[in-house]
Amino acid sequence: MPECTNPLWSCAMTGAASCLAGFRGLSVVIHGSSGCYYYPATLLHAPLHGTFIMENDVIFGSEERLNEVIHSLSGNGTRIAVITTCVPSILGEDIRSMLAAHDVILVDSPGFSGDVEAGYHIALSTLAPSVDPDSTGVNIEGASLFDPFARGNVQECSRLLDIAGVPKGTIFSQDALRNVWQAAPYTIGTNEDFPSGVGTYLGGTLGLSETQTTFEHIAEVYDGADIEPVCREIAEEEERVIYACDKYLRRYDPPTVAIFAGASYAQFAAEVLNRYLDAGILFVGTRNEPSPVSRYPTARIAGLSEARACIEQHTPDLVIGSSFERSVCNGRAFVGITPPLRSRVRLVHQPLAGIGGTLHFTEEVLNACMDRKPATH
Amino acid sequence: MTLKPSPSNSCRYGGCTLTGALSVTTHVRDAVTVVHGSKGCTHHNFSLLHATSLDNDVPVIPNLVSTGLSETDIIFGGEQALDRTLDSVLRDDPGVVFVLSTCVVDIIGDDVRMVCGKERGVPVIPVPTAGFLGGTFQDGVNKALIALAGMAEGSTANKARTVDNKERASVNIIGEKNLEFEINENYAEVTRLLSSIGIPVNIRFVHDLSSAQIPSLGAARVNILRDPALVPVGEYLKKRFKTPYISSFPLGLSGTPAFIKTVADVCGVDCRDAVAEEQVLQAETLAAFADLEGATVSFENALVDPSAVPAAKKLARALDLHIKKNGRPVPVPTTPPIGVAGTRRMLHRWRRAIHA
Repeated sequence: MPECTNPLWSCAMTGAASCLAGFRGLSVVIHGSSGCYYYPATLLHAPLHGTFIMENDVIFGSEERLNEVIHSLSGNGTRIAVITTCVPSILGEDIRSMLAAHDVILVDSPGFSGDVEAGYHIALSTLAPSVDPDSTGVNIEGASLFDPFARGNVQECSRLLDIAGVPKGTIFSQDALRNVWQAAPYTIGTNEDFPSGVGTYLGGTLGLSETQTTFEHIAEVYDGADIEPVCREIAEEEERVIYACDKYLRRYDPPTVAIFAGASYAQFAAEVLNRYLDAGILFVGTRNEPSPVSRYPTARIAGLSEARACIEQHTPDLVIGSSFERSVCNGRAFVGITPPLRSRVRLVHQPLAGIGGTLHFTEEVLNACMDRKPATH
Repeated sequence: MTLKPSPSNSCRYGGCTLTGALSVTTHVRDAVTVVHGSKGCTHHNFSLLHATSLDNDVPVIPNLVSTGLSETDIIFGGEQALDRTLDSVLRDDPGVVFVLSTCVVDIIGDDVRMVCGKERGVPVIPVPTAGFLGGTFQDGVNKALIALAGMAEGSTANKARTVDNKERASVNIIGEKNLEFEINENYAEVTRLLSSIGIPVNIRFVHDLSSAQIPSLGAARVNILRDPALVPVGEYLKKRFKTPYISSFPLGLSGTPAFIKTVADVCGVDCRDAVAEEQVLQAETLAAFADLEGATVSFENALVDPSAVPAAKKLARALDLHIKKNGRPVPVPTTPPIGVAGTRRMLHRWRRAIHA
């Protein structure tokens, strides 16, 4: 059924902006109406520019307006990227020709072309990142301004690489633009929903065991890497997680859980809850295509009415999701890992990736479960 | 952000017509709003409206349904998708359905009015909101309010209520800014002033109401507009229901006694005691911020309503502040503060900035 009540996920245009606006040295222009501009501008908290096209630009063509905006940005020392929205795409203007006189990166990712992940992928592919064989270190991928945990993830992975004595390569997409084409030969991930496809992928960092495995891979390929301090920290911190969860289980039954998130974070949440709390994963609703190998009941959930129906059907003790799910979880314990996370003051850059990510997530879950109000069934 | 505040460009930044209209239609609580376009447009607006309701501690989820236009619909036309979505939505028996169009739909030329014109047993009301093609955010608000006012016209019950209720003085609040963070505080300030002269509110058109309340729109003695941008709506209601309007909520300290007097005059009540009490309250408010006297300030916020700066300057003069370009920047709200309560909140922010 194509119609959708209260759609939960952003469009490709927002995904493209969330990728490009993460690079320093790149001025990002949303070529579209003010409505298309304001949403990513408020969501991503990054400087964006807009052409703010109007009726006349549609009737007589948007070339003049586009050039006006490009001229106003020229000379500020940054490269310019233009993201097309639905209307210019439908009009079929030859924007590439319009921009021929300028050194501009054109990203064609109108909203109707897909969801946020599709737009992110189109944008990063358009930049055509490449490995510099002389670069050292390990790239970090999966950072998107769309993801409220991206900055925390990057900080955490950078910390772990530093402990292991491994230099940081390019961060996709939270780096200087020039580093896009000077990437290191190896890459680790923080969120597999936003891959870069650059270099040899050594693994992700969602969960303690995955982090350990990934650092073992780093040790295999990177001369001089000393991962022993990372492995020791994983062991020590895992003990703390086990102790806290065990203490919880002495008093309470394991929570039953419904998870709503991007496929990668959903899988992470399910594994942590299952492994440390023996939680019953009743349902995993993914915003994007679910993992084909998930061992939990999983389906793609597009609208809030579907999410509400799942919660009402499965009656979980704990709901993991965005502030949308929080609104329909009927007083159940709730932990937010999915954008948007509204109506909460969030100042610290908390991670989900790495050791800190598992600690943060477990802490949130235990506190939410201990504070929970009785569910209204 | 590329902002070029020249007159030729200023209208570019007026926001999306669709968002403006949705800020109105989603406050009819038994209604469903169908957004005819791609899913992204609906998500953006749903997310924004949801965030606003959370900010305002209103646990209501806006009921938006996207027709979910795909590339195929865009090539071959989206009328079937709209028809199918309306059939689906009506199965849940809503009180009314609003249909809002997006930029894409206007460009591909869908006849939304024709699809909405089919008899379906429930009012299906199209609101022309083709994104930037429809105008600005404010145009969307005005179009939606006028479309909703149409629900009150011609109703026998409405006519009877109108005659009956106009005998008892009451006011309508028209066009509150439903995305405004301080919406409830501003409403509380207006009702405080109204209650000081014994005037009740008939309906908040449109804020958190049901479609059954709309027919009483013509029953008030006067319509109070949130701000002058709603004058076209005020004029429309005046023509339709013969209800005069006041063009704005009371701005700052100076606008408050004048507001009380105007409402009292229209409603035929004595306001002398209320005005005197208000003047005492204003004097007390200024005295509470007397410690700011002599501070040198400048006004920050490039995107304020033009009427906000004069109101701020007037207040600064009343407090003996010096306004200089290199003065301590103090915040000016995007829209002018409403009444004494709004002014007091702004002054607390000034004190914070001056002492920072």
